[in-house]
Amino acid sequence: MHNHRCSILCITPPHMLHEIVRNGSATQRDLALRTIVTSEQIRGLRRVSNSLASLVETPAASVASAAPGNKQRAVYDAQNGSGLPGNLVRNEGDPPSTDPAVNEAYDGSGTTYDLYFNVYGRNSIDGNGLKLDSTVHYQKGYDNAFWDGKQMVYGDGDEDLPTAERIFNRFTISLDVIGHELTHGVTQHEANLAYWDQSGALNESLSDVFGSLVKQYQRGQTASEADWIIGEGLFTVNVNGVGIRSMKAPGTAYNDPVLGKDPQPAHMNDYVHTVDDNGGVHINSGIPNHAFYVTALELGGYAWEKAGLIWYKTLTDKLQERSTFQEACVLTVQTAGELFGENSLEQQAVKKGWAEVGITLAAETTTPSGCLPSVMNALGLKMNAG
Amino acid sequence: MMQIIFERTGGFMGSKTSLTIDLDELPSDQAQTLQRLLDEANFFTLTENPPTHSAPDGFQYTIIVEDETGRHTVTTTDTTTPEELRPLLQELSQRARSQRRH
Repeated sequence: MHNHRCSILCITPPHMLHEIVRNGSATQRDLALRTIVTSEQIRGLRRVSNSLASLVETPAASVASAAPGNKQRAVYDAQNGSGLPGNLVRNEGDPPSTDPAVNEAYDGSGTTYDLYFNVYGRNSIDGNGLKLDSTVHYQKGYDNAFWDGKQMVYGDGDEDLPTAERIFNRFTISLDVIGHELTHGVTQHEANLAYWDQSGALNESLSDVFGSLVKQYQRGQTASEADWIIGEGLFTVNVNGVGIRSMKAPGTAYNDPVLGKDPQPAHMNDYVHTVDDNGGVHINSGIPNHAFYVTALELGGYAWEKAGLIWYKTLTDKLQERSTFQEACVLTVQTAGELFGENSLEQQAVKKGWAEVGITLAAETTTPSGCLPSVMNALGLKMNAG
Repeated sequence: MMQIIFERTGGFMGSKTSLTIDLDELPSDQAQTLQRLLDEANFFTLTENPPTHSAPDGFQYTIIVEDETGRHTVTTTDTTTPEELRPLLQELSQRARSQRRH
């Protein structure tokens, strides 16, 4: 689907590729960008060959990991219990089940793998072919999905309640939920953002970003065509809402007499201070979510290509366990500069994204606004006064 | 006179669902069921373990039981709940989800 023929750019050193992205014609830039992505895939291959020695020592590991591009999936059924992973019901290559939840988990984790591999050159959650395990039918009346550190877990919603009382459908119904859960695994293997306060909200936001990108990638939608809704289809007809969260307009996904109103802020001025939800990790994620949305819309085209690449590289190479929103702003701007050039349109778009959600440098600077000063600071540059 | 307070926070949606039950006000068979689930969980001997680590998108639960003799609080998560507590958690969770539309 997104395979490209190898060209002369394959043997071009990375710094030259970055130059081409900066200064080349539109076609050259496009080619160079794709080559950078391809190089990532090769790096993935190298990682695999590096790990061959360890595979020889621990043969069990070879069962659990796959060669690049060869995804390995397994779906288990918890049969409404809480034991994980449960009974194996569909293995890689097995024909579809008669159970839609099983097929959704299988297909959704496959599409998520494809986005990470085809676009970013990442071979599974750990970058090394880790098997993708999913468990469906977890507990009874479990209106949730989570990542337990090793695998994805999905409940059936409010299936145990009378129809009129149900709020949630099964959680595999929404592809972006699957992409969201799997991305928690990616984050765990990369920046490992601590799951509370701002670092937790960044962790959540990255899961929403790539969850949404998985859906957009599958549908072939551009940034302006996408709905940017997280959890579309999760609510039953009893609920007045289009999904759980909106990256386009945080705080507007639902407004319901029973559930209340979507509490997500879209700006730092409305940051929610709470002890619940690990300090509001699913609430304040609206702020970085919206920054990504603004960036992607500003750049146009397929959001996974440029905005997604900038966020992906920031996640894998720069963010750290206790990173804040402010640092995420600095680091995404830095990454955009490295990939596309200082003051490139791409870097401007990232700055605009963060500026719209009110991420600015500490009060001591007066001008310019936005996160530019902290970027310059991080790069060791001095600003002219005034 | 016994009161059970149940609270569930976090999850994919990050919302709070809570419920307060006065056992005296329940039909006796329902009160007996809850009493039995409390007994089977050995609720008053469970330690109050505030979750130090919860799985991404997992729920956090707090159950408080209060009667004339005192008050006991247990905090737990999807991935750390002791097996003997799960039936009680299931029952309270279902009641809490059910009363959202009443």
